[in-house]
Amino acid sequence: MGGTTTILIFFTAMVALLGLITSMRPEFTAARGGKIMAFVALCILPVLSVWAGFHEQVERSTSTQFCLSCHVMSSFGKSLTVDDKSFIPAAHFQNNFVPRDHACFTCHTDYTMFGDYKAKWRGVHHVIVQYFGKIPKPEDIKLYTPYNNRECLHCHAGARSYEEASSHHKTPDMLAKAASNQLSCTSSGCHDIVHNVGDLGDATFWTPKADPQ
Amino acid sequence: MTQRLIERRIRWSGRLTAAGLIVQMLTLLATHPLAFICFAMVGCPLVGAGILVFLYSLVEHQAV
Repeated sequence: MGGTTTILIFFTAMVALLGLITSMRPEFTAARGGKIMAFVALCILPVLSVWAGFHEQVERSTSTQFCLSCHVMSSFGKSLTVDDKSFIPAAHFQNNFVPRDHACFTCHTDYTMFGDYKAKWRGVHHVIVQYFGKIPKPEDIKLYTPYNNRECLHCHAGARSYEEASSHHKTPDMLAKAASNQLSCTSSGCHDIVHNVGDLGDATFWTPKADPQ
Repeated sequence: MTQRLIERRIRWSGRLTAAGLIVQMLTLLATHPLAFICFAMVGCPLVGAGILVFLYSLVEHQAV
């Protein structure tokens, strides 16, 4: 548990205690000072506490641990460690092209003005299905819309390895078409091995070495 | 009579707010979708209800 979480838990406990004390001695509110104290204890501090808690919960919901805590996602988690660099998520995860502790969110958010909120809304829908709906088989899980190149180019655009790769100059307008999403990175026969959870049966897996520190 | 009513409402407001905050505190102990759901569907509404009861008690007390 991190320092911020500990502080937040302590703060929430103190605010809850203050609320309980106010509820046990409401006669204090007859005086002016008591009214001010009740307003702080039952309005200002709880709002602050909920806001901080919400921020923390939202931040946690972007973690790889959070995404993979649903059983149906375990195959997708396994695909991050498959020992085959043609698997796009595995290559990104194992080479730190994405932060490992936020691997899912980094690729599956939309890099638009309200992209994070849209991703969160989809996440809420997934959580509801997990607990109250019919959970599909991992191999039946598909994206709502085709994967947008914008998410790839958020990191790769401008990178020398992307701009100068000979495979990206098979036609003169290839990069322009990729930038305008006319030519999909993941479904035009180039980088089309993504999670492929149905093909992991015979795969071998990479195990990260323990942190030397 | 009015003072008793406002005190009763403040008592309920404090209980609801504290209950919501305790739920929120417990959800912070785990990184799990169920914790998120409990926070959003139990903790937040309880705190929200507590705050609303408190504000209502103030408004009605002013009106009387």
